Amino acid sequence: MNEEEKEEKLLSLLSARRSGAFWSAQRARILSAAPRRRAPARAWLLLPAAAALLVAVLARAPRTPEVQEPPAATAAFIEHLDLLDDLDVLEALPEGEL
Amino acid sequence: MTDREKQSRPVKAGEDPEGAFALLVGEHQRLVYAVALRLTGDATAAEDITQETFIAAWRHLGDFRGESSLKTWLLRIAANKARSWWRWKKVRSWLSLDARQDGEGPALQDLLPDDPKGRPEEAARAAELERRVQGAINALPPRQREVAALRAQGLGIAETAAALGMAEGTVKAHWFEARRKLEAALGDYL
Repeated sequence: MNEEEKEEKLLSLLSARRSGAFWSAQRARILSAAPRRRAPARAWLLLPAAAALLVAVLARAPRTPEVQEPPAATAAFIEHLDLLDDLDVLEALPEGEL
Repeated sequence: MTDREKQSRPVKAGEDPEGAFALLVGEHQRLVYAVALRLTGDATAAEDITQETFIAAWRHLGDFRGESSLKTWLLRIAANKARSWWRWKKVRSWLSLDARQDGEGPALQDLLPDDPKGRPEEAARAAELERRVQGAINALPPRQREVAALRAQGLGIAETAAALGMAEGTVKAHWFEARRKLEAALGDYL
């Protein structure tokens, strides 16, 4: 056996021998796994587009006028004033009358 | 874009990427698996690496620039994954998490020939040959093992060099040494 034939024989020994069923099963596993694993990557690619869409929607939304605070004094405010009035009275009274 | 630029663009999967991917897997799965198996000596790891290699190719097919052949590109991915597997295995071994030192052999049913005639005898012979071959490859230093694994799948010196990122002269030197050791270990079968 010459050197080339010997090398060919060695290379054929090193190859992986598997049954047809093994290759079919492996192929099916790869093909079912690949699109599933790619889905998150596609989702990330859509993220900038989704953000731009959201900004556009928000920019086009009609602006509602800001609600003004009612200028009228609330009941609590009025009660507070009443307390202040009472306080004035208390301050005006001499200590002995308290 | 000029006609020359159009011609120099790599071939893309076009309108049916999943169909093109199925063709790619069918054409190269044996090659990728065989290289992964010889590089790791572990049937389970080889299956995982094969699957991960094609998934990586599927995800990055758009990045493939056509500077090398698809075969070389796939094998480079597989070789890198095998190197990562070895690093991971060393860490596990260092942390004493991986008591098993030898690679896991293939399941017997995977070695059974498709022809049902003479199955038990053929399977036993195949299992013994597999054990001897993988043992001889495992005994090689890492770089020689990589070169031998790729040469065993019919890759020439230039293709092996491209896939492993080595100079052709380095590949030749590694192959010379690897071949000498393999012939000594597998002399009974030659």
